[in-house]
Amino acid sequence: MRHGLAKAAVRLAAIILPAHLRDWGRAMVVELAAIERPGSALAFALGCLGCAVRQALFSHLADPNPALEGNPIMHRRSSLLGQPRRLAAYCAIAAVGLGLVYMAAAGAPRSYLAINAAALAIGLLAVGILTEAGRHWRIGAGALGVALASLILLTGLFGLSADGATRWVPVGGIVLQPALFLVPVVALRFARVRDAAALFAVLIASLALALQPDRGMAGALALGMAALALARPGRLVLAALGAALAGFAVTLARADESRAMPFVDQIFYTSFGVHPLAGLALLTGAALILAPAIAGYLRDPDNRPIYAMFGAVWLGVILAAALGNYPTPLVGYSGSAILGYFLSLLGLPPAPAARSVDRNGIAMQSEPERQQPDLRDGLTAAG
Amino acid sequence: MIRSRTLSPPARTILALMADAGESWLHGYDLCRRGQVKSGTLYPLLIRLEEQGYLEAQWQAPAEAGRPPRHAYRLTVTGLALARANPALAPGAAAAGPLGKPA
Repeated sequence: MRHGLAKAAVRLAAIILPAHLRDWGRAMVVELAAIERPGSALAFALGCLGCAVRQALFSHLADPNPALEGNPIMHRRSSLLGQPRRLAAYCAIAAVGLGLVYMAAAGAPRSYLAINAAALAIGLLAVGILTEAGRHWRIGAGALGVALASLILLTGLFGLSADGATRWVPVGGIVLQPALFLVPVVALRFARVRDAAALFAVLIASLALALQPDRGMAGALALGMAALALARPGRLVLAALGAALAGFAVTLARADESRAMPFVDQIFYTSFGVHPLAGLALLTGAALILAPAIAGYLRDPDNRPIYAMFGAVWLGVILAAALGNYPTPLVGYSGSAILGYFLSLLGLPPAPAARSVDRNGIAMQSEPERQQPDLRDGLTAAG
Repeated sequence: MIRSRTLSPPARTILALMADAGESWLHGYDLCRRGQVKSGTLYPLLIRLEEQGYLEAQWQAPAEAGRPPRHAYRLTVTGLALARANPALAPGAAAAGPLGKPA
């Protein structure tokens, strides 16, 4: 298992590294293969990941390479805007960070900050692991979507109940809200493949949310489907929209007795009472959640339906938090929402140059190993 | 140019290892093990050295069939000069400040 974690960590490092350091990322991946001891391999990989994060931050905050032609700062900015998953990851990290600032200023328990920070780390690692898994395991696209949606349904049937809603499951002493991290995935999967199996998954999710009831996530799903219907109408899309709207309507008809939880719900209103800067941090974090969708929609016309879905779903989650007693994503105390945002990154298109689509209908990130270096490059590059 | 007073003890150790290796190529994990330097410290250093012309990097054919090529490194002429100007510190001297005075 440690070797698997090490591989995932070093691949994530290779993905995170800026474009001009891609060779170093490939070097790290290959070097890991030469380390036999699992503990040493994991330590090596985690060190590489830390290096990659620092290099990525430096690369986008300053220009360490004045020898680059043209405007190196503009080159890096446009480069980041052209890499939707990476941009979304950075926005998520920044949003969670701003949320931690708010919670610290508001006097939240330290465990809340720790759990959000842990969810951030787990989310980043999950992206790496699932990207790696997608290369080696062939999972039926339909089966995966239906399975995920079924988990939401099972939560409604057998999960924890509070204030008239059954939305939670206990996992190792922590209470998770599966809909927060599964609904975006199911929605984005439908936006990518738009087939009968993905539609069935949306139907199950809509039913599950009506059953729980979860008005916030039902509204987010409906908003996402509406955005997709505007961007790419079709029979299956309209059917999915109908199902989502029906589920949302059921939740509207049912009483919502949820009470506001400190640092989770209603914090858009309470944050300015803590301090104007805390409120500003919260609003900035919420805007960052939507930034990748806006950037992708403007820059990548071929994939506008996907960005529309991504942005609309998370806008729906934000609106639910603003209008009702629902978790505020990324900036409030909610590890589930943080996990959900990172998982939904996998539904975004990769950088345009690296696009190929696997059997799951997920556009795959390019693999460092696929780009085996030409040995002649090394000989000609020798000083 | 990397100024001598900015070179950390791990950087000096790595430079010394590579200077001792002469024209031989070294791999990343080898440098980590022999220099007792973590990868999170080694790779930023190697990247900086290469960007500033003190290090050359090369993909080399694997020793075993079926393995991918490995990235290998050695110092350039200017890198050797940098290593000679910044020898590795003796054990215990790492706590000293940049001018040799206690921190």
